[in-house]
Amino acid sequence: MKEFNVINSRVPRVDARAKVTGDARYTADLSMPNMLYGALLQSPHAHAKILNIDTSAAKKLIGVKEVVTAKEASPIKFGLSPARYDEMMFCMEKVRYVGDEIAAVAAVDPDTAMEAISLIKVDYEELPAYFNIFDAMKEGAMLIHDDYPGNINAEVHQEFGNVEEAFKQCDYIRTDKFVNKKQDGAFIEPQACLANYDMDGNLILYSSTQAPHYVQRILSMVLNVPIGKVRVVKPYVGGGFGPKASASTLELTACFLSMKTGRPVKMVFNREQVFMHSRARHQFFHELTTGVKKDGTLVALKNTCYLDGGAYSSFGIATIYYAGSLLGAPYKLPNMKYDGYRVCTNTPTCGAQRGHGGVAARAAWEQQLDIIAEELKMDPVEFRLKNIMQRGDVTCNDFNMSSLGMKECLEAVRDGSEWGKKKGKLPKGKGIGVACGFFVSGAGYPIYRSDTFHSTAMIKLSEDGGTADLYTASAEIGQGSDTILSMIAAEAMGIRYENVKIHSGDTDFGVDLGAYSSRQTLMSGHAVKMAGEDVKRQVLGVLSNTLKIPIEDMDIKDGFIIFKKGNVDFSGLRSYYIKEHRGWTDQPAGDKLTFKEAARIAYLEKGVVVGGGAYKPGELGGKYKGATVGTSPAYGCSAQVVEVTVDMETGKITVDNMTDAHDCGFAINRTNVEGQMQGSLSMGLGEALFEEVKFDPNGKVANATLGEYRIPTALDMPNVKTIIVESDEPNGPFGAKEVGEGAIMPTIPAILNAVYDAVGVRINELPITSERIFMALKDKEKK
Amino acid sequence: MLLLPKFDYYEPREMSEALKLMSKMKTSAKIIAGGTDVLVNMKKGLISPKSLVNVARISELSDVEPSNGTISIGSGLIVEKLTEFDIIKKKLPILFKAARVLGSPLVRNRATIGGNIVTARPAADLPPALLAVDAKLKLVGAKSSREVSLDKFFIGPGQTVIKPTEILSRIIIKELPPFTGGDYIKLGHRNALEIAIVAVASRITLDSPDGVIKEARIILSAVAPKAIHAVSAEKALKGEKPTAKLFEKVAKLAAGDCAPITDIRGGAEYRRAMVAALTKKTLMNALNEAKGK
Amino acid sequence: MKQIITLTVNKEIYEIAVAPNRTLTQALREDLNLLGTKEGCGIGDCGACTVILDGRPVNSCLILAVQANGSEITTIEGVANGRDLHPLQEAFVEHGAIQCGFCTPGMVLSAKSLIEKNQNPTELEIREALSGNLCRCTGYQKIVEAVKIASENMKK
Repeated sequence: MKEFNVINSRVPRVDARAKVTGDARYTADLSMPNMLYGALLQSPHAHAKILNIDTSAAKKLIGVKEVVTAKEASPIKFGLSPARYDEMMFCMEKVRYVGDEIAAVAAVDPDTAMEAISLIKVDYEELPAYFNIFDAMKEGAMLIHDDYPGNINAEVHQEFGNVEEAFKQCDYIRTDKFVNKKQDGAFIEPQACLANYDMDGNLILYSSTQAPHYVQRILSMVLNVPIGKVRVVKPYVGGGFGPKASASTLELTACFLSMKTGRPVKMVFNREQVFMHSRARHQFFHELTTGVKKDGTLVALKNTCYLDGGAYSSFGIATIYYAGSLLGAPYKLPNMKYDGYRVCTNTPTCGAQRGHGGVAARAAWEQQLDIIAEELKMDPVEFRLKNIMQRGDVTCNDFNMSSLGMKECLEAVRDGSEWGKKKGKLPKGKGIGVACGFFVSGAGYPIYRSDTFHSTAMIKLSEDGGTADLYTASAEIGQGSDTILSMIAAEAMGIRYENVKIHSGDTDFGVDLGAYSSRQTLMSGHAVKMAGEDVKRQVLGVLSNTLKIPIEDMDIKDGFIIFKKGNVDFSGLRSYYIKEHRGWTDQPAGDKLTFKEAARIAYLEKGVVVGGGAYKPGELGGKYKGATVGTSPAYGCSAQVVEVTVDMETGKITVDNMTDAHDCGFAINRTNVEGQMQGSLSMGLGEALFEEVKFDPNGKVANATLGEYRIPTALDMPNVKTIIVESDEPNGPFGAKEVGEGAIMPTIPAILNAVYDAVGVRINELPITSERIFMALKDKEKK
Repeated sequence: MLLLPKFDYYEPREMSEALKLMSKMKTSAKIIAGGTDVLVNMKKGLISPKSLVNVARISELSDVEPSNGTISIGSGLIVEKLTEFDIIKKKLPILFKAARVLGSPLVRNRATIGGNIVTARPAADLPPALLAVDAKLKLVGAKSSREVSLDKFFIGPGQTVIKPTEILSRIIIKELPPFTGGDYIKLGHRNALEIAIVAVASRITLDSPDGVIKEARIILSAVAPKAIHAVSAEKALKGEKPTAKLFEKVAKLAAGDCAPITDIRGGAEYRRAMVAALTKKTLMNALNEAKGK
Repeated sequence: MKQIITLTVNKEIYEIAVAPNRTLTQALREDLNLLGTKEGCGIGDCGACTVILDGRPVNSCLILAVQANGSEITTIEGVANGRDLHPLQEAFVEHGAIQCGFCTPGMVLSAKSLIEKNQNPTELEIREALSGNLCRCTGYQKIVEAVKIASENMKK
């Protein structure tokens, strides 16, 4: 076992004290002198031609400084995937969903801005609107975008092996359908931003974003400001989970209004706007056909999926690929076919959300696998174990399992939940279910085609050697990356955690693609580790010259220089250091040379002690179309056992116990890993039992509040028995890989399987409300 | 950030002052106490009263007064206090139970019993419990005051018999006879921060611990424009010996007594079925309480 | 028209002029610059704006600043004693009860109200006391554990 001084521990988060005292500043907490407040005019119609916009009354209102529409704004289209840039700052000719942005104002205070918005008069001609994919795909349906015939925004067709041939060799084949509902991110902090375009042409945007780098590029492209003059800064962010990973009209508008007025402009979403902006989980309609042999060997899977993407593309091109590519694994499956269709509707745009693209597919398949196991009279755990992949295996779609503790996870939850004592032995109304999950550890490629580095990092030592300033553009959004990266930096340099000071979330600090696809621990972590090792090498290099000892004979650990070949006389260095700090009371003492002393010597020699690191994934598998979505330097996996009670009278489900094991490669911070697991399970429980964005007959979100859109409360979420599995990922820094998203994967199917065990009904539509269970029970009675 | 529209604000310290203000401003003014309803509706743009009259500082509105076999509760009493006063817990356990499941602790610390009544929401938590114990309301006007039984108070969603110039001052409940038991069950999606899909409040009074049902109330909530009595179910209980079988039958009658709709929280068919399930459950619990179990 | 009100916030007395349509959240954030109180929904659904008002935790987004005139208020800024964290805050820091931190001020204040009234809260009592404060990050488990640990530490 390797020994570490900082990582694999439970040190508190670097930002915990700031957050627990209310000191932490989020974007909405920021203000600037002479600041204006912006507000948006959003469409009340789901699909309508804009005939005329009259801003004259708004412009006349006292306190209004600027009113802008598509006429004034940039016509450059943007989005996430360059091949599908289909959004504009403001709607030009028509609106495509209730909430589509039409105009904006800047005024001296929020009340005036809102009043001005109410004074803008827009004439519309309503068009036929489609609130589900079936209507949108109907022959003769009006196109929502001229570029997407049949309102099909994207199609994917992939086949690995030969599914039809393989089905011929199967003893048992079954087909099931499954559908989830649109989920909302429901982060507690609504999006906010503050822009300032200064007199020298520098644009700075403070934004509650997950991906400062992508926002920077879009601002530069759309507003035509050189990228070097665009700085995006991410203050503390109150959760993101995916929807905050794309540049938005809110951000562009704040910048544009600042450019027009010459004053800082602040804009904040209210909760209803968060729901309308969405960019959260798609609705997926899956049809899965799985074939197996009598002995339980998985042979083939055919997966057809229709995605309701809403009005624009956003992250959807990645989503449609993920909805296919994340199945198969973590099981050995030689034949897999996928047909995906992403359909545009006149509803808020869907994008990425925790477990991007894979959550509904996973729920559908893991429930089907349970049905198959029952048909084959196999224990669901044994059935899964029989097909499980291990380290070194490669999937039929060319994903390389450079590490995979799937078997260990499954065995851990089986034993940790006392599965053997409970499965099939619980009284009616009580049930137990199991499921596995699998996810990427960082997207192998950026969302725009590029050879860019995915993460860079820089570490600069203070002149006294006491502090290492770590600069990274990575995005701390609550998941804990600042803590993880500080720990990695400290470990790599051999110094203490408290001596690292992290500066992150700022495009001036380098390049980092941001907090999405569970990438930062692995990718930003690599860059930071390289930078730390660079610093260490430089300090030891100077020391080597000074003390005439080969570098290989020295190391740095826990803030001290280690001389591997016995004691070294460093008294000269120490007196030098002390002389440099005459009058100071914290002079070094003791028989060990401190890093601080060594770093001071290095500073005196070099003037600047800066270490750098840059990471991009090496060659990844897959040469087929779409191989860029799903291939990753590493894969995380997890297993869960869930126990439920179903009230037979009302159908109400109570989740009593959850046992979760996750292979995160290597836990940099054990408390954080558990936190990610528990948080993922809570979001999964919400999607399984409560969460559903609903629409009124006009396509407006009908439950755009946290009262009617229900995320779990403290009384709905049970305690989770949390088991960390470490498989030592060769492609991860110190062996680490993801935990932030993969952990959600097994939750929904494990609940579904437990509900079946409890009451004998299979539910193919989320959420599993008490009403849905009750009706299913009633149907079963009739049969 | 959600903004409030502009309004004039009044803060009377005496009831008379409040009544004077209301008789002057009538429908252009709204009374505010806890604000958990009025301010939400104002922020959502559903209402924009010209004036708000805050009655929270009128001290006589926020006490509990037991006297001569009645309990009189000031309309301004916050819901959390209903769960803190011993007298409520002991003498009106059904109200205690309903108060415990309203919204969340943060809401219960502001919302008032009066507010939960006058807003006349079809799924409000306190009215079913109060109807089950035959509560009366004291409505005070500038010149006269009147007592209205809660049964006659609600007209429909958001509508009551209260006049714009009147203020609900007290909720008056006669102490319940011996061998009485009650229960309130609210079915929501989550275990907190919920508005009921269906809720049922039941109360029965026996003539003796092992005797027949002397009086029965079954109140159904969120299945009609206002909380309603399950009329035929109540009738079927009267004079009968309480048994599981009787409750089963009565539960079915209750399901027939309501007229639920399908809305964002649940379907009509499910709601009707839940009326039966909760009626049975609440009656069983009420019986146990009546028998002193 | 603005009205002059007096608020005692974190033991300091403030006299401010506010329009009637300003919420307590706005007064605290904008007039007193106490930015630790967050707004997550504005209508009492999330609890991010929780403050302790005259001894009770409440949603400050649903209280008019003028309604709070004369009240005593504790915000998150008033929980620690200078640089010394309150035992609850210590426990939140040590036991991983914080992720994004946006719900944290409200959680701490709801928990503080609880343990001031109940020195031995059970897990269920803690969960009930926090049931008006939504957290999307943690799954609540480490928050509940931290409150329990703090309540035990405070007895020592």
